[in-house]
Amino acid sequence: MSDDRYPDWEAVYNDNVDRVYRLMYAKVGNRPDAEDLAAEVFVTALRPLRLAASVGEVRAYLLATTRTVLAGYWRRTLGREITVLEEDWALVEPAADSGHTGAGARAEAILAELPERYRRILQLRFLNACSLKEAAAELGVTVGNAKVLQHRALRQAAVVADRMEA
Amino acid sequence: MRGVRRFVKDLLRGRRTKPFTVDRTDESQLRTAIALKAGGADTGPSPEFVESLRERLRTELDDNPPVELPRGNSRRRFVTSVAAASAASIGLGAAIERGLSGAGSAVTAEPPPADQTLMPDNGEWRAVVAAKDLPDGSVRPFDAGTMIGFVRRTSEGLYAVSGVCTHLGCKLALDGPARQLNCPCHNAAFAVDGSVLHHRLPTALAPLPKLMVRESEGVIQVFVPPQPA
Ligand code: FES
Repeated sequence: MSDDRYPDWEAVYNDNVDRVYRLMYAKVGNRPDAEDLAAEVFVTALRPLRLAASVGEVRAYLLATTRTVLAGYWRRTLGREITVLEEDWALVEPAADSGHTGAGARAEAILAELPERYRRILQLRFLNACSLKEAAAELGVTVGNAKVLQHRALRQAAVVADRMEA
Repeated sequence: MRGVRRFVKDLLRGRRTKPFTVDRTDESQLRTAIALKAGGADTGPSPEFVESLRERLRTELDDNPPVELPRGNSRRRFVTSVAAASAASIGLGAAIERGLSGAGSAVTAEPPPADQTLMPDNGEWRAVVAAKDLPDGSVRPFDAGTMIGFVRRTSEGLYAVSGVCTHLGCKLALDGPARQLNCPCHNAAFAVDGSVLHHRLPTALAPLPKLMVRESEGVIQVFVPPQPA
């Protein structure tokens, strides 16, 4: 971006669509919802946008909008804000940010604290996108067992995650 | 429990998740499931999505292209400023309703731009509040469809200002006791007369545009752009 301004809305879009989508994906975990919400951000934000604003301001504004769209989504669907976009994400230096959300590191940190079998099943199911059947084969258990294992592991992981947040 | 399981199942299949009644323990499991899922290979948006959203924006924005709010310009084109304000009142307004931190004491001195009353090229008088509900000294928010703002009565007369931040267009919130209009996006604050109270932005901030306002047959009316057909 030359002289720190976007020439038109399309430039705003091109420069930020990847980032906004990834932020949403990191917070809702599925593609269709992340797409809907990213779309909502741009539809909401682009119209009243003043292009005389600097690139940094525009990004901060998109983040503010992303945050409120996400909050609205949870309020609408589950009535509770399951995930939030932290305040300081808005402070991320635009230049140093390439759409990277830190989600991978966070998942790793949670898994690292789990007993081996719990870690394995969650890794297979959540990170490697294995089916229950594939995961069961990998672990040498029945599908039914894999299912039970997965639920227990997730419950345990939630305890770990809560502790990490506290 | 069933709700959580279905949520996780949808998540793992990459489907939209569905609403259900959530309690506190569910909540942390959902959060964790999302964190784990999102920690997998992050492939970013699909090219089809990026392209189709671009197309959609093009259609939506070309009817009503994004506009620049001129600053420090004493004669504004009504349609220009108002297009931005109205868009915010439709979409952004509902979205931006976060708490205000208002902390910090950075006060930026800046040259007061010339007084700006929107000089309408076209528009219509729209009733926004009953005259009896706007006693002397009071301020009331209004949403006139194509425009949001605040009306105010003093012993000198009636006044109205736009309710959209002149920075990036967020919807302002009235803090009645403090008699100021706060912007939730970057913590700017305006006085109820539209002048800038404080902000921490690296750029100058224009005061809020004033609107024409009158009282007629027991109602307060403001002059706003006409509703699109
Ligand atoms: S939009 Fe109001 S301060 Fe930025």
